[in-house]
Amino acid sequence: MFRKVLIANRGEIAVRVMRTLREMDIATVAVFSDADRTSLHVRMADEAEWVGPSPSAESYLRIDRILDAARRHGAEAIHPGYGFLSENADFAAACEAAGMVFIGPSAESIRRMGSKTAARQMAMAAGAPVVPGAHEALAGPAGARAFARQFGYPLLLKAVAGGGGKGMRRVDADAELDSAFRDAASEAERSFSNPDLYVEKLIERPRHIEIQLLGDRYGNMVHFGERECSIQRRHQKVMEECPSPLVAAQPGMREAMGEAALRVARSAGYYNAGTVEFLVDARGDFYFLEMNTRLQVEHPVTELATGHDLVRLQIEVAAGEKLRLRQEDIAWRGSAIECRIYAEDPYNNFFPSPGKITRLTRPLGPGVRLDGCVHDGWIVPIDYDPLLAKLAVWSETRQSAIARMLRALREYDVAGIHTNITFFRQILEDEEFRAGRLHTRFVDEFLERRKPFAPPPDLESIAALVAAFHSARSAPRTESAQAQRSRWLDIGRREALR
Amino acid sequence: MRLSLDIDGRTHEIDPEHGGAQIAAVEPGVYSVLMDGRSYEARIEQSDARIVVFIDGYRFEVQIRDPRRWSRQAGRHGAEGRLNVVAPMPGKIVRLLVAEGDMVEAAQGLLVVEAMKMQNEMKAPKAGRVVSLAAREGATVAAGDVLAAIE
Repeated sequence: MFRKVLIANRGEIAVRVMRTLREMDIATVAVFSDADRTSLHVRMADEAEWVGPSPSAESYLRIDRILDAARRHGAEAIHPGYGFLSENADFAAACEAAGMVFIGPSAESIRRMGSKTAARQMAMAAGAPVVPGAHEALAGPAGARAFARQFGYPLLLKAVAGGGGKGMRRVDADAELDSAFRDAASEAERSFSNPDLYVEKLIERPRHIEIQLLGDRYGNMVHFGERECSIQRRHQKVMEECPSPLVAAQPGMREAMGEAALRVARSAGYYNAGTVEFLVDARGDFYFLEMNTRLQVEHPVTELATGHDLVRLQIEVAAGEKLRLRQEDIAWRGSAIECRIYAEDPYNNFFPSPGKITRLTRPLGPGVRLDGCVHDGWIVPIDYDPLLAKLAVWSETRQSAIARMLRALREYDVAGIHTNITFFRQILEDEEFRAGRLHTRFVDEFLERRKPFAPPPDLESIAALVAAFHSARSAPRTESAQAQRSRWLDIGRREALR
Repeated sequence: MRLSLDIDGRTHEIDPEHGGAQIAAVEPGVYSVLMDGRSYEARIEQSDARIVVFIDGYRFEVQIRDPRRWSRQAGRHGAEGRLNVVAPMPGKIVRLLVAEGDMVEAAQGLLVVEAMKMQNEMKAPKAGRVVSLAAREGATVAAGDVLAAIE
C-alpha cells in the first residue's frame, strides 16, 4: 500500500479523500493556491505545497507544478478528486510517466470516454442501449416514418448541419410528419444552407440515472447500483439519491442497468471508479449517455446506501490490489439523499454569493453526513465553484430520509452569505418530489410553481421583537456603552436560566 | 411607549408591557426567545441601518423607525463633564437606586428598567454627581430618553 498520497484538488473533495487516507494510515499531501492558504484541506493535510496564484489555470490545473510537488514530497500516488485534472488524459499519463500512480483509470480509458461520439459507438458495440437515432441524412419523410414504426413517437427531426434548435421539429403522430419534415427542411435550408435532416427518438422529460462502477486491473468489476440525479439546474445536478424511486419500483431494472454499464466499461478495458450515465424514459427504458471516468461529486449517497467507502476501494485497486468485492457482496439498504449546498441566492436567480461566513451551525445527529470545507470566518473565494458542502442523509425509507433531510436543513445555519438551503427545503416539501415523479426539467417546472418561502404567521412578531431588542442593545450610547452592552447580555442570560 | 418596526411593509408596534417574551443573547447576533411556552432562535445580520432577522431559515428584513438617531443625539456629550444615561430601549422604570444630588461611583447602579419582561440595571457611565434624574418609578420611557445625567 502507498505510504504517501498527494491530492490534486481542493475544497470538500480534498478533505473527503484525506479522511479515508488518514483512516488507511497513509500520509497526505495537499496542494493549494493563494486563495486557499488557510483552507481546511491545507490545515488538515500532513504536508502541503503552494502551486500557484488563485486562478485554477495557474494552480490546480498546472500539471508541472503538481507533479513537482508530488516529487518533492515523495508522494507515490495522486488522487485527482473530481473536476480540475481528474478527466485529463494527459495528466494521468504524466503521472504514470513520472513514476507515480494516478488513482483513476488509464489515460487511454479517459481519452476514449472523453469523446461523446466515440463513447456512443463503444456503448453500441457493447450492446448497451443508446438513444435511437439515425445520425445520417434522411431521403424524405418516408425514412422518418419507417423509424417511427420501429421506435414509436414522439420523435425529433434535427438538421444535420444544425444547432441552437434551428431546423428542429417534434413530431407526435404520423399525420404531422410530412408537414413537420417540410418545415424543418426549409428552416434548415434557410439557416444552414443545407436541408438535410436526421431523426432521433425524443425522450420526454427523461430521468438522469447513473450507475457507479469500480474495477481492478485484473478484469474484476462490480457495480454499486444507481443514483438518481434528475434534480438539476442548468444541467448541473443539485440533489441526488440512492436508490432511484423509479428503479426501486421496477424489479430487475437495477440489475439490467448495472449489467449494461459493466459491458460498456469492460469493453473499454476500464479500471478504478467510473460512472455510466443513462437517460431513462417514463417506462423505465434506459439509454447510454456518457461515462464519467472519475469519482463523482454525489458518491456519498452510494456509500451511505451500500456501506462501502468508494475512495478506499479506489486507493486499494490503484495500489494493485485485487478487488475484494464480488457483485453478490454489494447490497443496498435504506435510502440516501444528498443536497449540494451552494453559496448562491435562490431568490435572486441563484446569483453566486461569495463572502465571509460570519457564523456557521452544522447539522448533526442520526444519519447525517456532511462533506464540506467550510468554517466560521471562512471567506468563500470568488475563484472556484461555490459548493460549500454536500449534506447527505440516510434513513430506512425514502420518506423518512426526506424528513431527516428537512430536519438537517433546519439545523444548518450559514450566516454572512446566501445559500440554497431553503430552496432544498421547498423542493423536499413539494408533492411531485415526494411522489418520486422526477425528471431533468423538474427544477425548471418547480421554479414556475414554487410559492414564496413564507414563514408561519407567528414568526414575524418574534422577528420584530428580536430586531427591537438587538437594535436597542447595539445602539451607540454613552462612553460606557460597552459596559452596558455586556450588562444587558448578562441579564439576558440570567433571565433565560430562570 | 412603543417602538415601531416595519417588516415587509407591515408595521409592528412593539409594546414591551405586552410581550411576555424572554430574550437571551446567546452569542453576538444570536438570540433565544421564549414566548408563550414556545422556543425560538433568531439570528441577526446587520449592515448599517438594515437589520435582517433569520428564524428557522425564514428571513425578515426589518426597518426600525429610527430610535437610534435619537439615542445618539441624546448621548452625545464628551467623557468630560456631563454624561447622560439613556434608555437603550423602550421600557418601564421599576426602581430608582439613587437620588438627585447623590455622589456615585463609575458603574454604580442608578435605576432599574424593565423591558420585554426583563429587568435591566442602568449604571453610572462615570464617577460623579447625579445632577438630574428625570426617571420616575413606574414611568414608561422610550428608547433614547435621557434618564439621568452624571457630572
